[in-house]
Amino acid sequence: MKTDARALSIQRQLRRSAARRRYARLVGHALVYALMIFLALIFMLPIFWMASTSLKLPREIFAWPPEWIPSTPQWGNFAEAFGKYPLARYMLNSAILVIANIIGGLISVPIIAYGFARFEFPFKNALFLLMLSTMMVPGHIKLIPMFWLYSRLELIDTYWPLILPAYFGNPFFVFLMTQYIRTIPRDLDDAARIDGAGAWGILYRIIIPLSRPALTVVVVFTFVWVWNDFLEPIIFLRDWDSYPISVGLAFFQGRYSVEWHLFMGATLVSIIPILVVYFFAQKHLIGGLASIGIKG
Amino acid sequence: MKRDFKKCVTFASLLMLLLLSIGGVGAQDPVTITWWTLASAESPEPAIRAVIEAFEAEHPNIKVDVTIMTESAYGDLMNTTLGAGEGAPDVAYFWETPWLPHALDITDRLEADPDLSRDDYFEHYFNTRAVWNDRVIGLPFTVGANFVMYNKDIFDEEGIDYPTADWTPWDFIEIAKALTDPDKRRWGGDRPRGPFRAVFKNIGATNPYSDDSTTVEGYLNGPESVEAYTWLWDLVDSGATPTPADIEVLGTEGTGPVDLFIAGRLAMATLNNGHMITARNAGVNFGVVPEPHVPGKDRYVHGWALTSSIWKETEHPDEAYEFLSFWVGPEGQRINMEIGALVPSLPSVLAEYPDADTDYFQGFMQVLDAKQTAEWRAAHPCWRGAVIRAVSDAWDLIMLGEIERDEVQATLDAMVAPGQAALDECVPRLGG
Repeated sequence: MKTDARALSIQRQLRRSAARRRYARLVGHALVYALMIFLALIFMLPIFWMASTSLKLPREIFAWPPEWIPSTPQWGNFAEAFGKYPLARYMLNSAILVIANIIGGLISVPIIAYGFARFEFPFKNALFLLMLSTMMVPGHIKLIPMFWLYSRLELIDTYWPLILPAYFGNPFFVFLMTQYIRTIPRDLDDAARIDGAGAWGILYRIIIPLSRPALTVVVVFTFVWVWNDFLEPIIFLRDWDSYPISVGLAFFQGRYSVEWHLFMGATLVSIIPILVVYFFAQKHLIGGLASIGIKG
Repeated sequence: MKRDFKKCVTFASLLMLLLLSIGGVGAQDPVTITWWTLASAESPEPAIRAVIEAFEAEHPNIKVDVTIMTESAYGDLMNTTLGAGEGAPDVAYFWETPWLPHALDITDRLEADPDLSRDDYFEHYFNTRAVWNDRVIGLPFTVGANFVMYNKDIFDEEGIDYPTADWTPWDFIEIAKALTDPDKRRWGGDRPRGPFRAVFKNIGATNPYSDDSTTVEGYLNGPESVEAYTWLWDLVDSGATPTPADIEVLGTEGTGPVDLFIAGRLAMATLNNGHMITARNAGVNFGVVPEPHVPGKDRYVHGWALTSSIWKETEHPDEAYEFLSFWVGPEGQRINMEIGALVPSLPSVLAEYPDADTDYFQGFMQVLDAKQTAEWRAAHPCWRGAVIRAVSDAWDLIMLGEIERDEVQATLDAMVAPGQAALDECVPRLGG
């Protein structure tokens, strides 16, 4: 009898303990979620301000107290912004540049990184270091020599200066990809070689399929960088119809004032493609970055 | 007979050669010149296209290849191409001092021009923006000037009379204090954006150093300068103005507190004619008055124009001048005024301005003939190039409220040595 009562008491204690643990876990989760929601709201605030501003009249934008949700939304601001400058055309131009750069990156980066990761050749480390050192050079310093070069090649006012570099490998991506390929076991290369695959066969049948997370990083980062790039397009492009959206948006910033309501409306529309790409790629992107960090 | 035949053949050959050469001239490709410009409210893209269309109709042998770019891009592009020594446009704005040596001297061309002369432009604007080292290096496109814009609705609400051109800097402080309402997060007025601009000069401050660029003592810390800095101290102390941080956070970066003015949170603001158009389009009920000054003393204005020049490496200087004189001449500026909202730098064209009869435009017109602060500044590049930074502590300490009113003199006295050192270093560097 005594033993049964004791067992019952232990069972009760265990149940209580489990309930306490469940409760503690629940509270912990609730706190974590509350914190994440709070942080998400803070990070969303600029986008919300952008959306709110895009629906206001100019005199309402900096009014006090601020009106987060405009009482009379000015939907016409979007039409006015897109009517004032050829922004749809500029978005199409940006898309062309993005696609061309992504293709260039997907061709050049794996080849160069594969060479650094898998082959031995004279001055390999020095060349790798040299390549990395180009990342340290500020972009502005390269502008005049690049302009001079493309001017001599008669490529000013064409998209080539904005596309060609991607076909010669971005050093940041080459570095990432090299590190990633080094984590792929060489046994797979050996097995493929035994099956008759050459260096190119190993690259395209083994390395590239296994490097999908790293390649996703290349695609998404290239998308964001090229879509947002402002400096190089203004240096190399001249034709009104050839500007990308990053330059088009800057037209709303005048010499004396900014047309905030139109600027925010146009910007809101222009970031939609980036949000869409990030939404679909985020799983691969986070996995890709994490795996490079851990294995590298 | 044979001789006649030879004569005929020779004559026919010469005639053919002549016809061919005439045909060659007729079929010659037109010269294409490149032009870089900006799209803005004053000169929007349709106005730019209209200028080109009108010019090409008048000059069928000259084509204009225009690049319309953003304000933020322009400086980078000019620096890059002028630095590279190639790729710069035939005609463009040359508004930065380091670009001026790259501009073509058009003194002789302008003197020989039967349709345009320097007398056609506002004198002060031409002298400060088109002349460099005693040579004409461009033409002034449009004119801009600072003045005080005031919100009439706020004045009416508070029952205060609108300011008039004879107001003093101390009137400005009193009115600003009366219009300030902390509950509405509203300030009465703004602060000047640098020393020795119009209001400083209107108080009587001469210049920060001597005209011959040798002496700071007695100028920066002279009695008139102390009075101007003390006025600034009083203005900051009044609490009637937003701080520089407020302006930076709430206003439009680098373009003045126009956003706060339009939102009704700044009752008076030192703005310009570009802002006037912005406020008009936003439906603000406003008036314009010159910056305050002390009766009996000269009235100054902080004004500017866009120096429009020809690149001195151009392969087509004659055609480039033809276009420049059209674009910045009466026809080009009139087109921009009619399609955009440009304020022309030619008084004869300005007289036709669509808003010329409005109160606010009349207020703006009052400042155009005032003396310009830029006249001294243009002749003394070491002020902006070195001295202003060396003596900025005095400005900053007052702006931050770090010194007492009776410390203004001592603070300026302490700035004389660093100011003198900066001047002594700068003058030989810039060639005296």
